[in-house]
Amino acid sequence: MIDFVNYFINGALVGLLYALIAMGFVVIYRASKVFNFAQGELVVFGGFIVWWMVASLGLPLSIGLPLAFVAAALFGLLVERVFFSRLAGESVFAMVMVTIGLLILIRGLILVLFGPQVRSFPIIFPLQPVIIGEILIPRSLLIGGVITVIVGFGLSWFFNRTRAGLRMTAVAEDHQVALLMGISVKRSIAFAWILGAVLSTLGAVIFLSGKSLNFLASDIGLAALPVALLAGFEAIAGVLLAGLIVGIIQGLVTAYLDPIVGGAIGTVFPFIIMLLILFIRPTGMFGWKTIERV
Amino acid sequence: MDPAGVFATSFERDKALIRTRGQWIALIVFLVALAVLPHVLGPRLVAISTNMLIMAVVVIGLQINMGYAGQINLGQAAFMGVGAYATGALAIKFNLPFWLSIPLGGCAAAVFGFIFGLSAVRIKGFYLALTTIAAQTLFHFLILNLPQSWFGGSNGLTLEPAQIFGFSFVSETSIYYLCLGVTALMVFGAYGIVRSRHGRAFVAVCDDDVASGLMGINVVRTKAIAFLIGAFYAGIAGALWAYYVRFVAVDQFTLFHSIWFIAMVIVGGLGSITGALIGVFVIKAIQESFVTLGPGIVAQFPSLGGDVVFALMNVFLGGIIAAFLIFEPRGLMHRWNILKRSYRLWPFPY
Repeated sequence: MIDFVNYFINGALVGLLYALIAMGFVVIYRASKVFNFAQGELVVFGGFIVWWMVASLGLPLSIGLPLAFVAAALFGLLVERVFFSRLAGESVFAMVMVTIGLLILIRGLILVLFGPQVRSFPIIFPLQPVIIGEILIPRSLLIGGVITVIVGFGLSWFFNRTRAGLRMTAVAEDHQVALLMGISVKRSIAFAWILGAVLSTLGAVIFLSGKSLNFLASDIGLAALPVALLAGFEAIAGVLLAGLIVGIIQGLVTAYLDPIVGGAIGTVFPFIIMLLILFIRPTGMFGWKTIERV
Repeated sequence: MDPAGVFATSFERDKALIRTRGQWIALIVFLVALAVLPHVLGPRLVAISTNMLIMAVVVIGLQINMGYAGQINLGQAAFMGVGAYATGALAIKFNLPFWLSIPLGGCAAAVFGFIFGLSAVRIKGFYLALTTIAAQTLFHFLILNLPQSWFGGSNGLTLEPAQIFGFSFVSETSIYYLCLGVTALMVFGAYGIVRSRHGRAFVAVCDDDVASGLMGINVVRTKAIAFLIGAFYAGIAGALWAYYVRFVAVDQFTLFHSIWFIAMVIVGGLGSITGALIGVFVIKAIQESFVTLGPGIVAQFPSLGGDVVFALMNVFLGGIIAAFLIFEPRGLMHRWNILKRSYRLWPFPY
């Protein structure tokens, strides 16, 4: 029984981590209707920036970490300036394809700038787990979970209640119409990418704290896809619930099915969930049902 | 547009693929050049050419699926893998000859692709692309976790060379001719498909699926057929790959390979079979020149280590995809068509 509770809680916390990464995805989608396939690469890039600032340059955490977030924001801005500002008004297809190009480009950049070696990521959160009775909880995931919930509700408020957030939604709906309404398309998309890059870096900090880091960590970007899909790509707070569901299911499946089926079912299971969602309810739990007018 | 003085006087003439004598000559010269190629080039270049021929088949499949029918497919490498594994298993378990196992491999991939294409019943656009990512992971998982006696699990499959009438395709040259033959057939078939009723339906669905539905095209069926054909091409290529490398393993068919295929389609030009061939040639040539120049680059920057070549290749490829989408979304083929048109119109500007 205590095992079950352990798996359950750990699964939930991992799910919240997925939710944080999925949030980076959702934010970019909300503001520009672009599926960012390079999400995992953004996470790894953010992780490497943190590693570079803290471990390589040897800055203390209190300076290195904020600097890393600033650098990530600048990187997001750079991506927007170089690629997406030129694509304003182009089809969504072109933009999504560019993110696929970015996926390869950033991976190459990471290899050129930081090398293929496995680096040990600085320990941001204390390593010793939180122990309540017989329940063992990794501290980084626990703190990360709290941060995720706060960020999730904050972003949800921002996108649904503030002018700036609603402006971004308008941009996603139609570039031309948004321009006619006096909304700066470029600024909205730039802000979305900055936000996406910063969220990815935050995800990297929580995900990698005290672990090893190399470019293969980007798999988490794909693992977060089912979470975003289950919530519906427009729902920001919904991502939290979806993350919990996917994480718990994955945790339990890994614990109880893996020994029977023989390994790796835990990593594939989210994708099976994803396929099921796609077939049963493509808009997810809280996604917007769009009505197409011909 | 046709050059001056060429007028189609019958429907057959109007839909002909090769319209002028010059084009006939160019085609024959090209085919002869391909045929004598292994006798002129060294073994390494022949190996690269064989590779290009196999890639050409996959990318044409992707072109039909993505360029014509507009269905983004991020699982083309998985479909290719299904073909390779099916062919390998058939050849090893049932000792089928290659002329039977290659088409069957294609069919296996086609069925796999069709299943994912069927999801078009419920979803469209990028959601459909997501199911193809799921196809990629599922393929990986299934191969590694199905009983090892079926597909070799993580050990992969090792094949005997293809044999016919006691002749076995072992040497680089013979396998080149095998691939050339199959690829030529597939390319010819692709030209046929895209100007047939199905090809026109693909283009209509790509342009506007609601409008094409109103015109009586069965949209879901068309999308599923596009996946079927695309996956069939991938399966045939996978089968050729299995006989060429004679070793099949899951890490030959990753999401990254799928992305390379997409890059080839984009660089060559969406919606053109010739464009797909050009894309394969250009990207593969760049890739290989990076590999060739690799030691030189490593010698220049010793601090970066041997992986820098792979890294630079990624940077270059990612950059080129983005650059093409920003500056020439319709690919090299479109540029070529502009050039051809202005040449034919010369000295008039339009």
